[in-house]
Amino acid sequence: MSVYFPHKKLPYLLLLPQLVITFIFFLWPAEQAFEQAFYQEDPFGLSRTFIGLDNFISLFSDPIYYESMLVTLVFSFSVAFLGLSIALWLAVMADRVIHGKLAYQTMLIWPYAVAPVLAGVLWWILFDPSMGPVALWLKYLGVNWDHYLNGDQAMILVVISATWKQISYNFLFFLAGLQAVPRSLIEAASIDGATPFKRFWTIVFPLLSPTTFFLLVVNLVYAFFDTFGVIDATTQGGPGVSTATMVYKVFSDGFIGLDLGGSAAQSVVLMFLVGIMTVIQFRYIERKVEY
Amino acid sequence: MTDIILNKIGKTYPNGFHAIPSIDLTIKEGEFIVLVGPSGCGKSTLLRMVAGLESISQGDMMIKGQRVNEKEPADRDIAMVFQNYALYPHMTVYANMAYGLKNRGESKNVIDDKVNNVANMLGLEALLQRKPGQLSGGQRQRVAMGRAMVRDPKVFLFDEPLSNLDAKLRVQMRIEIRQLQRKLGTTTLYVTHDQVEAMTLADRLVVLSKGKAEQIGTPMELYSKPATPFVAAFIGSPSMNLLPAELNDQGIKLSEQLTLPFEHDFRGKLVWGIRPEHLEVSDENDADFAMRIQAVESLGVETLIHGVLEQSDGASTPLVVRLSGPHTPEINSLMWLTVPEHHWHIFNAETEQRLSES
Repeated sequence: MSVYFPHKKLPYLLLLPQLVITFIFFLWPAEQAFEQAFYQEDPFGLSRTFIGLDNFISLFSDPIYYESMLVTLVFSFSVAFLGLSIALWLAVMADRVIHGKLAYQTMLIWPYAVAPVLAGVLWWILFDPSMGPVALWLKYLGVNWDHYLNGDQAMILVVISATWKQISYNFLFFLAGLQAVPRSLIEAASIDGATPFKRFWTIVFPLLSPTTFFLLVVNLVYAFFDTFGVIDATTQGGPGVSTATMVYKVFSDGFIGLDLGGSAAQSVVLMFLVGIMTVIQFRYIERKVEY
Repeated sequence: MTDIILNKIGKTYPNGFHAIPSIDLTIKEGEFIVLVGPSGCGKSTLLRMVAGLESISQGDMMIKGQRVNEKEPADRDIAMVFQNYALYPHMTVYANMAYGLKNRGESKNVIDDKVNNVANMLGLEALLQRKPGQLSGGQRQRVAMGRAMVRDPKVFLFDEPLSNLDAKLRVQMRIEIRQLQRKLGTTTLYVTHDQVEAMTLADRLVVLSKGKAEQIGTPMELYSKPATPFVAAFIGSPSMNLLPAELNDQGIKLSEQLTLPFEHDFRGKLVWGIRPEHLEVSDENDADFAMRIQAVESLGVETLIHGVLEQSDGASTPLVVRLSGPHTPEINSLMWLTVPEHHWHIFNAETEQRLSES
């Protein structure tokens, strides 16, 4: 039986605010970017010339763009891998805590409420080569920390900042996943002579695999597209382009380099990537993981 | 030869709740012991203490002469079948059964032999490559048993293994479990709340109530000589008629008008009981008392007649009579009954213990 509404206009009216927002902030700019990708525009936006695919051709013949892709891959997979493993470890520990369980869980979820830029600034201060406590402490240990000069160190810093925020989110899902594993399975395994370590890897971890896979995709998407704030607040893509991910490069080429056409072409490439990610997400995440 | 000894075993939870005050039980090798009682009586807790899933607060637990109080479940050489089967959902039936052997470091050939052997015994050969999600309830139950059997443990523990099955399958599995246990000769501890299951499976029963063992004995001992009113009411279906009474010089006084002649040294309040199947229909002249019929349940093979003890003062004490074969007495009519003395069960109302034979 289906419910029938006599009003023809009301549903559209109710959807209107969301549709307007989607149009103004998503569809229109996307269309603009798409259009702009085929033009060359002067820095002041006063004149533009249609140049066909030239923006894309120069983009894909630019070694820096490939470097940016590599940076993005290294960054994203580091964030996803670290974020998932640390969160899983924390969730396993928090699941075993008996006293003050709620306090631990609340504190572990908190970082998720921190805005990306603030998280970036926080880590930027901690690691600042001249005044950051972590940087000083590293110096005592003999590590010469200066992420303004050392590209690898800059990468480590943005990975830490971006991971730190994502751990809370992953933690929440892992904890829920762990609590959904029936106790009797663990008990059966312990009667079957499996050590706690073995129980985790042969019973708990496989049962968590739907959660893990979901989080992997979500984390990759996060690291790909949602870490602009963190990078801008810590390294601004530098030194050089060693932490300029593809999303960051769109911003820096467009708004700092004022190459609006090239920047637009990059966003079209990114849109294409998002499309692929979405297909993957729908294809595999919605799929029931069978066990 | 004794196999498992529970010596003053007790369980106190951290919040101070005494789940089990103290239980003594000696189990012989190959014996099938059923722990039975209503929910919350501590039967599952006791089983889990034997398994090592629940810590033991006091007393000693011995398996084959070894104290196992502090031993991990894996080191006790036991196998357990859980109520929800607890099969590993991501593993095939084969992997489920092989898991325990693998953890023990058995070689591939040995594992293969043992798993196939047990699978044959339980008729699981065709299902070995399936996952638990693709099995029916009865098949899962069988796999859970197979997983327990394959390790050839010293003790089987069953925690209400049949409660998730439908009635017909339950009867079938009950018989199968009994036959398997006889064949393997493995000492077994079995928890259930179903007294029929308990009676049919057990060599000896332990009736538990509020963490205390009310009575330990063979099914027939419990049926014919229940030690307490609780056991009397729990064993047998429908349960025994238990009437408050008093013993005086004339006999057992059930009400102002009704006293059954009886001789005993005891004087005071008691509980007088008779099983529904031991009440006999008679003529008005020979009858001990009459029952006013209120409801009739006809099951074909037997008929259960519910009513109240007919008394002039209007007090109503419910009674159940069980007659074999079909009967169609009229509702609200009187039914005359005799109560043969050798079927009486008499308990001291205060101590709740069976009155010793006079």
